[in-house]
Amino acid sequence: MNKRIPISEIWVYLSGDPLFALIITLATYQIGYLLYVRAKRNPLVNPVAISVVLTCLAIALLDMPYEKYFEGAQFVHFLLGTATVALAVPIYNGFKRMQGKIFHIWVALTVGSTVSIVSAVAIAKWMGASDNIIGSMYAKSVTAPIAMGIAERLNVSPTLTAVFTVITGMLGTILAPYILNSVKVHQWWIRGTAIGVGAHGLGITRAFSVNEEAGVYASMAMGLNGVISAIGLPIVLTYLRPHLGF
Amino acid sequence: MISGLVQLFLWQGLGELLSKFFLPGIPGPVLGLLLLLTFLCLKGQVNSDLAMVADSFRQHLGLLFVPASVGVLLFLPELQTHALAVGTALVVSVILTIAVTAIVLKVFWYFSLKRHKHITINKGQRHE
Repeated sequence: MNKRIPISEIWVYLSGDPLFALIITLATYQIGYLLYVRAKRNPLVNPVAISVVLTCLAIALLDMPYEKYFEGAQFVHFLLGTATVALAVPIYNGFKRMQGKIFHIWVALTVGSTVSIVSAVAIAKWMGASDNIIGSMYAKSVTAPIAMGIAERLNVSPTLTAVFTVITGMLGTILAPYILNSVKVHQWWIRGTAIGVGAHGLGITRAFSVNEEAGVYASMAMGLNGVISAIGLPIVLTYLRPHLGF
Repeated sequence: MISGLVQLFLWQGLGELLSKFFLPGIPGPVLGLLLLLTFLCLKGQVNSDLAMVADSFRQHLGLLFVPASVGVLLFLPELQTHALAVGTALVVSVILTIAVTAIVLKVFWYFSLKRHKHITINKGQRHE
């Protein structure tokens, strides 16, 4: 009478539930974050990269299609928009500090992100990358939540954009001290702003741990750069794309 | 904490509406950000609930783009073929971005310092 449920049935039930994808996502991030803290916040031990690799391995091993995984994980994904709105707070905190520098910072961010986009797109194109990859280089200099919003509007892959953004954050965080020392910039607020543009969220965490002022400016720069790009990029691309040739 | 989240959702909702009906070119959350920023500037302070939620979002921003990044699985063959192009583009671009942003600010800083010194020298002369 006592019917035993085979393990495979339990598995079918579990893997059909959104909870499963949520557990993988959060648990792998937790593992990544613990390792990151354990490694004294070394930028090479990026919690996001660890989480992405482990999640990829898990769903590949379980033979779970990506669409199925995303059905559950979309609850985390949804919060990207909310996190974007929350960037208003660090921008506001930066505003309070930077009396009189707003124009300078605005110009620097515009020039910086233009250089970032043009160089990335030009190099990718010159080296013969595919259209998918070239398209995703446009928004990669912006913090991921905003970058993905821009990518959707430009009809390029939000996934590749997110991946490039994460890699950019790691590279920027690792290279920033050497770059800034070699151009002989020692003011904390300038270092912070440059890191916010070039190294996103990971760079900010790093900046905060080195100097509080650098952290505040980095958060502000990241948010503001996102806003400038979100408004400017679609406009520039609509009008200039035919003339630029890429 | 709940109050902070509710505030963010409301601003996000407002931004989405604005994006849908008036400014379709700009993502809703970015408009929500601008609205909240305007509100904070007018109000002159951040309430503690909002500050707390915003701070935890900033700290764990990375978690939120894990689901999308896992989609890299679908692009692995394409990325492998173009690995060198992607790597070069990202490394060179990041170096240029950080260097150029810092240099622009340094140039501005240098000029404003010079102007500032000039003014103080002038003031000093007047005092004499």
